[in-house]
Amino acid sequence: MTEMQKLYLLVPLAPLAGALIAGLFGRLIGPAWSHRATIALMLVCVAASVTVFMDVLKGNVYNGTVYTWMTSGDTRFEVGFLIDQLTATMMVVVSFVSLMVHIYTIGYMHGDPGYQRFFSYISLFTFSMLMLVMSNNFLQLFFGWEAVGLVSYLLIGFWYTRPTAIYANLKAFLVNRVGDFGFLLGIGLVLTYFGTLDYAAVFAQAPQAAAQTIEIIPGSRWELLSPICILLFVGAMGKSAQFPLHVWLPDSMEGPTPISALIHAATMVTAGIFMVARMSPLFELSEAALSVILVIGGITTLFMALVAVVQNDIKRVVAYSTLSQLGYMTVALGASAYSAGIFHLMTHAFFKAVLFLGAGSVIIAMHHEQDMRKMGGLKKYMPVTYWTMFIAALASAGVPGFSGFFSKDAIIEAVHFATLPGAGFAYFCAVTTVFVTAFYTFRLLFMTFHGKPRMDHHTEEHLHESPWVVTLPLVILATASIGAGWLIEPMLFGGYFGNAIHILPQHEAIAKMAAEFHGIGGMMAHAFTTLPFWFSAGGIFAAWYLYMVRTNLPARIRQAAGPLYTILDRKYFIDELYSWLFAGGALAVGRGLWKYGDVIVIDGFFVNGSARVVAATAMLMRRFQSGYIYHYAFTMIVGVFVLMSVWLFV
Amino acid sequence: MSFEDIIFYFFSAVLVSSALGVITARNPVHSALLLVLAFFTSAGLWLLLEAEFLAITLVLVYVGAVMVLFLFVVMMLDINLDQLREGFWKWFPFGAFLALLMAGEMAMVLMGKQFGADEMPAPPSRGADYSNTKELGRLIYTEYVYAFELAAVILLVAIVAAIALTLRRRTGIKSPDVAQQVAVKRKDRVRMVSMPSEKKE
Amino acid sequence: MNFLQPDFAPAYPEIFLLLMVCVVLLADLAWGEEKPHLAYLLSQFALLGCVLITFATSAPGVVYTFSGMFVDDALADILKMMVYVTVSVVLVYSRTYISTRGMLNGEFFSLALFATLGMMVMISASHFLTLYLGLELLSLSLYAMVALRRDSVGATEAAIKFFVLGALASGFLLYGMSMIYGATGSLNIARVTEVIQTGAMSHTVLVVGVVFIVAGISFKLSAAPFHMWAPDVYEGASTAVVLFIGSAPKLAAFGFIMRLLAEGLGSMVADWQGMLIILAVMSMLIGNIAAIAQTNIKRMLAYSTISHMGFVLLGVLSGDGNGYSSSMFYVVVYVLMTLGTFGMIMLLSRAGFEADKLEDFKGLNRRNPWYAFIMLLLMFSMAGIPPTVGIYAKLSVLQAVLNAGYIWLAVVAVLLSLIGVFYYLRIVKLMYFDEPETDALILPQGDVKLLLSANGLAVLAFGFFPQALMAWCAYAIRHSSI
Repeated sequence: MTEMQKLYLLVPLAPLAGALIAGLFGRLIGPAWSHRATIALMLVCVAASVTVFMDVLKGNVYNGTVYTWMTSGDTRFEVGFLIDQLTATMMVVVSFVSLMVHIYTIGYMHGDPGYQRFFSYISLFTFSMLMLVMSNNFLQLFFGWEAVGLVSYLLIGFWYTRPTAIYANLKAFLVNRVGDFGFLLGIGLVLTYFGTLDYAAVFAQAPQAAAQTIEIIPGSRWELLSPICILLFVGAMGKSAQFPLHVWLPDSMEGPTPISALIHAATMVTAGIFMVARMSPLFELSEAALSVILVIGGITTLFMALVAVVQNDIKRVVAYSTLSQLGYMTVALGASAYSAGIFHLMTHAFFKAVLFLGAGSVIIAMHHEQDMRKMGGLKKYMPVTYWTMFIAALASAGVPGFSGFFSKDAIIEAVHFATLPGAGFAYFCAVTTVFVTAFYTFRLLFMTFHGKPRMDHHTEEHLHESPWVVTLPLVILATASIGAGWLIEPMLFGGYFGNAIHILPQHEAIAKMAAEFHGIGGMMAHAFTTLPFWFSAGGIFAAWYLYMVRTNLPARIRQAAGPLYTILDRKYFIDELYSWLFAGGALAVGRGLWKYGDVIVIDGFFVNGSARVVAATAMLMRRFQSGYIYHYAFTMIVGVFVLMSVWLFV
Repeated sequence: MSFEDIIFYFFSAVLVSSALGVITARNPVHSALLLVLAFFTSAGLWLLLEAEFLAITLVLVYVGAVMVLFLFVVMMLDINLDQLREGFWKWFPFGAFLALLMAGEMAMVLMGKQFGADEMPAPPSRGADYSNTKELGRLIYTEYVYAFELAAVILLVAIVAAIALTLRRRTGIKSPDVAQQVAVKRKDRVRMVSMPSEKKE
Repeated sequence: MNFLQPDFAPAYPEIFLLLMVCVVLLADLAWGEEKPHLAYLLSQFALLGCVLITFATSAPGVVYTFSGMFVDDALADILKMMVYVTVSVVLVYSRTYISTRGMLNGEFFSLALFATLGMMVMISASHFLTLYLGLELLSLSLYAMVALRRDSVGATEAAIKFFVLGALASGFLLYGMSMIYGATGSLNIARVTEVIQTGAMSHTVLVVGVVFIVAGISFKLSAAPFHMWAPDVYEGASTAVVLFIGSAPKLAAFGFIMRLLAEGLGSMVADWQGMLIILAVMSMLIGNIAAIAQTNIKRMLAYSTISHMGFVLLGVLSGDGNGYSSSMFYVVVYVLMTLGTFGMIMLLSRAGFEADKLEDFKGLNRRNPWYAFIMLLLMFSMAGIPPTVGIYAKLSVLQAVLNAGYIWLAVVAVLLSLIGVFYYLRIVKLMYFDEPETDALILPQGDVKLLLSANGLAVLAFGFFPQALMAWCAYAIRHSSI
């Protein structure tokens, strides 16, 4: 094993060790040593990730097996790493944000009875996520996929005494199962038609497979890759909360805020985006799948942003904002601008983490009050939180110079160049959403930090800035939210991703953009003449006007818009639809099956019947086991006699 | 039919009938004595095969030691065999049927060519100075020494097991220990106790 | 007649152990009263010494000595190592148990070591005579160990049953061997193989010999229909002795099968394959179904053993190197699980109380979650639930059966083992979902605590890394005299 291979192993194993220490010995070593141990190991992990990243920058790409888990026939199930530019980027983002969240947690979870458990979970999450991104085969990908899902489930229900938390984690689990089912089917198809689970081998065979067709419904033939890609994307829809499987993400805000930042904004939900980018050699070959992705992404982008406008819970606004931003990334994937999608993933990870952690900081100060209508004027009490969130809001709204501007603009441009069916719709959604995003982000900022204080007297007296363990990650991440955008030139147009991402010539949106790209300054100058900039500025202005100047206006608009408002407030009634259709339908079907299928056929015939047969046989055997030696001896002799007779005469 | 054949059939008939007697006799003492007879006759058969050492060992060890011990045990235990035999006749037809079938099958195999006189002729007879005791000893201590030692270990196990199962170290036994009685000192026996005198009523 | 002094080196472990048994016997006689743990310590020392000697004298290749009666090869070395470790673990688990029952004396340990010696002889035998003598040495020690608890009617009854039926089985075996001898004119396994391959003798006689030999072996393995002693002995004998009977001798019996069936009668595979199929199916059927009706956990485990032995036979009957090594893997895994399970029963029992009823496991999770977890792992492994090692053992055996072309047999095995899952999971249910009937503290000694935890975790660890153990088994079979 070379030095680098050991380093690759160290990246996921360090957080795993942390999780085990905090999880198994947490009670023994106490809270302080639990967070010291996990954070120290996270530091190791970040350092190792950065070293790997530097190494990859030098062009050292690795693809190899670490351990063969088992062999079944010709199929080998292995643990292996594929380390290239895409992986290295993800590794740095994941480990870095995770480290920040670890530090932040010291302040946020202070005094919670489940303190050590929490550290154990987030370290375990980091391990799973790293296994997911570093994988070089579908099996390990699936392992990481399920493991992050499991930890997310545990963390949403972290405060397991709250019924809402239990409901939310159950919902997240069930919705994700739908996505995972599709994902697993996709992997199954890959194994059936390619005969291997190894990325490199599958990608190598992909061009030949593109010519193949399969018959799913008798009479109609499909290109083989379309169902595979769409099924894999269904998995991504579940994990990355794309419409219509998005319903679990807003509810997941029941979990502690650090989790919302780490899992439900920066890392886990981006697993779907990462997966599609990783599978770009497959997705490129299926235009049908890319169109589906474009449309789903477009719907998610616009419609989730609209819901964010009417939310009053500070975390829910950020949650719907996350959904909308994930929609942007998906749109980028559909437009074959994978690098733009990953680039937005990275910038979003930073600024959304700030928004979440900042919201968490506000929530601590407000004694776990999350309703923005009861806040206001917090700016003077919490300057650090305010300014960092302000930076993040600018980035989120896409103001030139901040990271969100570069990545979002790149996506919008790329969709503009895309020619697939659905691209027009996606472009419309992406551009419109710029306005909405700017509006709700600044609405949040104004309602929380500006204007008159609306909280009760007692809370106001106790308002103060959060401790340094909370503000330090905010400052670091806010710095990253400004700086990350300036990497656009190497990441998008400098061929940074090398062979990690594969794009067909007819989908070269990024290349066309590269031709028009004249440096960062040029891009910013050009921005002032484009629609997105003015939409963004308009959004900020509208928020300022409605929530700072004419504060009585929103209520009147709400009355005037009546039904429209209700639709948005109830999130398009999707939750109600699901509980009526699936929960109710399943109950009805279940009751029918239980009455006729279970009670009569299964219980009556199979279960009780076979149980009765087995029990009767068991009783018969007990009769034979009489306890008399001569019965036993007789049985033995009969046994020998039968064997002998059979072999002598048959 | 030569003289040897006559002796062979005689011994064989006695052997089979006495063996049957062992398991059918009502009195356990009779069974044991019939077993002694069976050993004697099989020793006779071995003599016919010129295995003198084995034949004499059989008589000495089994008849002289094992069976006599066995007889003692049977006589001392006073077993009510009738009680043990309960259900014997109930199962007898079935058992006998199976035994006959098995015997038939075995006979079929053993009567085959493999064990016929052509395949396995009688060993050539040796002269009077040939000692099969010596031959056995030589084999046992050279080629079969490993097996011989193992047999010795098995006997050791048997001894250990027999002692472990029968030797009882009872606690609280009241039997006197003479050595201790002799070694006793005066001060162990007599204890001087001074008590304040009581007033007479 | 020229006779060369045999090479003693390959048999050093056996010689050393025999010496140590005598030391244990004498030392216990001299100082047993004052130092009751002396015999225990000496026994552990003896086993450690055997490990070292076997390791030091292990040489690549196959070595014969004692006029071809003794063979030393990779299979012998590895199986012996496993036997030492198993016996050593058994003694650690049993120490507290037997000392609270007044059995902590030299006899128990010397008999255990004699039995170990018997197993070693069996494993290293290359001659029918040594095979048989090793088996008798083992069996005789086991009979005596079962009977050691003289004041218990159950133990005495179990010992008598074990003894009488065991003698009958030995009779079968000897009869079979004499048939083979009659047909081939030799007792030496290598020679027997050669003669059978010439095909110059009556096939009928050989087949009858094989039938009797298979019957005798099945008794030792407790495969149906020669299994009936097992439930009664398991129930009647003290748990420590049952642990002993149920663990290491199965390794030796596997070695016995390898030497006798796979090597000596290897060219008769077409005949014994069919017999083993019948026995394997019957064992899995009877073992899995009858276990359901049991309320005594030791009895239930006896039936579980019967069904596991059915699986072991599945591997053997496929009749090639892969099958043998998968079978060996299964035996090793079985021994690992058995050690842990009986160790747990002894852990829960205390003076005057045997934790041998299923109810005694009720609510174990409340009383001690860690041991409940260890037991859960063991039960999962027995049932063959991933990620424990049990599933790999079953899979590798089934693979061997499929390779041999018996698809129906694999299907039957899977179905029957599914029935078996029920009674293993019942214990898990009792531990986790029922109320405890007692709140007696579980206070094991340090070494037991550590070893039992390691034992349970090993079941899990091998589930994640089965390849190493699998490779070991394959190595043993490949570099043996077979």
